[in-house]
Amino acid sequence: MEFITFENVEREYHIGDATIKAVNGISFQLKRGSFNVVLGQSGAGKTTVLNLLGGMDLPTAGRISVNGYEISSMSERQLTNYRRAQVGFVFQFYNLVPNLTALENVQLAEEICADPLDAREILERVGLEKRMHNFPSQLSGGEQQRVSIARALAKNPQIVLCDEPTGALDSETGRKVLRLIRDIGRDLGKTIIIVTHNAPIAEMAQTVLHMRDGKIAEMKFNEHPKDVEEILW
Amino acid sequence: MVRGALFKKLLRDMNKSKAQFISIFIMATLATSIMTGLDSIWFTVENNANAMYQSTNMSDLWVTVMNPSEQNFWGIKQIDGVTHVEKRFSMDVDTNLPKKATLHLYALDEGSILDQPVLQEGRFSKSSKGVVLDSSFAKAHNLKVGDSISIKLNDVWIRLPIEGLALSSEQVYSVKNTASVFPDPSTYGFLMTHTSVLEKAYGQKIYNQISVKTEPGANLVSIVQKVDKVIGNKLIGITLQENSVSVNSVNGRIQQFKALALVFPLLFFLVTALITQSTMVRLIESQRTQIGILKALGYSKLSILWHYTSYGIMIGVLGSLAGLMVGVNVFGKTLVPRLKLMLSSFSFHINFRNFLIASLLILICTGGISFHACWKLQGDTPAVLLREKNPQKGNRIFMELIPSFWGKIKFSSKLIARNTMKNKVRLIMSIIGVTGCVGVILAALTVRTTLVGISDQLYGDTFTYEQKVLVDSTKTNSYYLRSLGLNGITQQIQESAIEIILPSGEHKMEPITVTTKDSPMIHMKDPEGEPVAMPDNGILMTRKLGKILGVEQGDIIQIKRSGKGYTPVQIVGVIFMTSNQGIYMSDTFWESLGETFSPTGLLIKWNGTPNQRFLARDFVVDSATRESLQTGLDSNMEVINFAVVALILMGASLAFVVLYNTSILNFVERIRDLATLRVLGFHYEEIHKLVLVENYFSVVLGIVLGTPVGRFMSWVITSTLDDNMDLTGNLVLPDVLITVITTLCFAWLINRVVAKKMQEIDMLEALKSVE
Repeated sequence: MEFITFENVEREYHIGDATIKAVNGISFQLKRGSFNVVLGQSGAGKTTVLNLLGGMDLPTAGRISVNGYEISSMSERQLTNYRRAQVGFVFQFYNLVPNLTALENVQLAEEICADPLDAREILERVGLEKRMHNFPSQLSGGEQQRVSIARALAKNPQIVLCDEPTGALDSETGRKVLRLIRDIGRDLGKTIIIVTHNAPIAEMAQTVLHMRDGKIAEMKFNEHPKDVEEILW
Repeated sequence: MVRGALFKKLLRDMNKSKAQFISIFIMATLATSIMTGLDSIWFTVENNANAMYQSTNMSDLWVTVMNPSEQNFWGIKQIDGVTHVEKRFSMDVDTNLPKKATLHLYALDEGSILDQPVLQEGRFSKSSKGVVLDSSFAKAHNLKVGDSISIKLNDVWIRLPIEGLALSSEQVYSVKNTASVFPDPSTYGFLMTHTSVLEKAYGQKIYNQISVKTEPGANLVSIVQKVDKVIGNKLIGITLQENSVSVNSVNGRIQQFKALALVFPLLFFLVTALITQSTMVRLIESQRTQIGILKALGYSKLSILWHYTSYGIMIGVLGSLAGLMVGVNVFGKTLVPRLKLMLSSFSFHINFRNFLIASLLILICTGGISFHACWKLQGDTPAVLLREKNPQKGNRIFMELIPSFWGKIKFSSKLIARNTMKNKVRLIMSIIGVTGCVGVILAALTVRTTLVGISDQLYGDTFTYEQKVLVDSTKTNSYYLRSLGLNGITQQIQESAIEIILPSGEHKMEPITVTTKDSPMIHMKDPEGEPVAMPDNGILMTRKLGKILGVEQGDIIQIKRSGKGYTPVQIVGVIFMTSNQGIYMSDTFWESLGETFSPTGLLIKWNGTPNQRFLARDFVVDSATRESLQTGLDSNMEVINFAVVALILMGASLAFVVLYNTSILNFVERIRDLATLRVLGFHYEEIHKLVLVENYFSVVLGIVLGTPVGRFMSWVITSTLDDNMDLTGNLVLPDVLITVITTLCFAWLINRVVAKKMQEIDMLEALKSVE
């Protein structure tokens, strides 16, 4: 069985009288430990896919299973537990808790996970050993994103979902962040899913899901993903 | 108010932050209603009492003298400042009614114009032999005009037809003597008739009092001194209007409500100001961009400032008007009738001057604070305002200075601690809210306990007799009573009132108890609780009386001796009694002054069953068991229970409004952080904890701070309650525990409500909407 399976998944939203199908019957499968990119323009439905994968939203039709869990039929509480144990999030705007230092933001994970990674080690791994006692407001955007990656990984999740992780960063910093996500994912054997509208990023992925109007327009497998340095944007 | 678009914006903004604005409104309403309500109580009582005193032509002073001569009478009439003088007869008489009901008889001369009754029904004709009866006494005994009543005068029972029912200025607060705590119309009232009726019992008209009316603003001290000189040794006592039992009690009530109207609303004003502050700061911060847009559109500084100030002013105006309605109708009109005052009119008087002060205060707390919150943003240019605000800074707090402690606590505790310390206004607000809640509830319970405790102190500690037997001192004497050899422990007492002159030269009439030196039934203690023995040369004075008279231990006062002048005596000790204030002295000292110890009562602890033969003797006037006296004191707690419930509700509303608001603010301000945590896999309960634990923190601090506040409030209430009571309002552990538990229950309940409210908001939605 595949690690992640989407089977004819639909997600409808009702805005006023209009019904919008943000995701309109998509099916795909992803492997454990793979590095994947969901590509699409705004409104293509890629954020909805991320929300569904992350257990932040439920499909109106279809079936989603992750690591053997049927998340499409979970209760609110089960979904929370799923997020807690299985999913790490990296946001475009980092979403660090401003009242906690870098280290404490990562330690968040220790409190809610059964098998967390050591917060200091993971911060060293992302290169922030000297900045771990700073508050988010004292860190640059790239540093904040690295804290956010460390926080996502410290939970020792099975999948890491990144929503436009480079969206708020300059290209050089963005490159560094992407490399970090890929390297750590590979070293720790995590399944990584990056959602972006930035097409060149797709070249470094093993699987690329190209979305358009709530459907998968194209699903591409790269035999030889490019290195971050080779990508231009 | 700014009309048009901005006014619509105001209404919609308010609708959006409904909970906050409703809270400000509630607090403003409570603050003004308590202040206006309590204020209108004393104002109503004062106005109506004064009107009644005036309409009945109440005397300014009464001179008690047995059988005043024509010389006495004319002598007083000649004194400068005296405008009118009358003779009358005034004394307590027994009735044949149940509960050993006593009536105070006022017999006036036929042409009398002073101290007239306020007729409620029937008439008070000058020629007839009928009487006018206290209307509430009549009601309690089911007596009507046309019935008759029997009283015992000079040992003769006489039957008198009731011609009318009335009220009296001297019996507005109608208690038999200073030992009675609350008026009880079934046991005590008054009766007014003409002196001709006395002929039936005494064979002639007799008098024992001269009523004196003076010019307005006359120097009463000098008049009293002159009266003293005119009457000489025959003088029994002089009572000024303000010192008479009823007037004194009424004034006590007025003072009490003046004090309460000052102390209680303070907290509510403070909380109103704080809630307005936090609400308006948040509103204006969140409308930063909008202010920028308005400015960019060309709205003037002033109109924007006025726009935001008008939020506060509108709430303030509405709140104070609602406060007036609530205060007058809920506090004023319900409490005035419960004060047990027999006023001729209860027409309600609103103290508009103080209402205006209250409204002004509220406007400062709402409008002023709003203005201040908006003022800060005025300096920025539209461009600055339209730009995103810099992200909020993280901050370290003092606890982190102790790394051994900080390192050990959980991250969630760190988050709670930092967040709590970060928003100090919110923290202070919730602490003040809880402090107020604790203070008010604790004060209410303490006052109740203190009042219940009066009888325990009095009849459990101080007086240990089983039965108090009143004897007619003209029919028996100390030696005879001692020779009876009653089977038990007995103690003779002589209770009366005595005219005294203070070091300041002021004359007063105060209760005095003379008793045997070894005092087996009355155990006196000083304010520290140490036993005090009856002194050989000097008097003891109760602490409260000393305070009222302005004298201390060691001072010398003069006391009037029967048929002679004044003798100086020293206050050699101060004793503490919750009730029964007065002067206490030993029989030996009394006799050393040349007086005779003639007991009016016997305190008995029977060895076995009471001696019925003794109790049936002719010199025994009355007897009461300690239990019956105690229950008399304990009864009539209705007004107190009412007040306790009202105060607990007030405290609860304070805690609820404040904690609810701070929690919601706390939640809304941090919704993005909390949403992140939700995404990371925190359960609702864990998120709730992060927000709501802060409440318990302020509850704990509020309890710590509220306890002394409650102590202070109960002190204010108890010390102004009654001149005859010496109450300390000391806290007792059970009350503190009940308060703490009640407050914690409130906090828990509020947290449940807030948690429910938090669940209604989709946090993930809040996070997603940012992108």
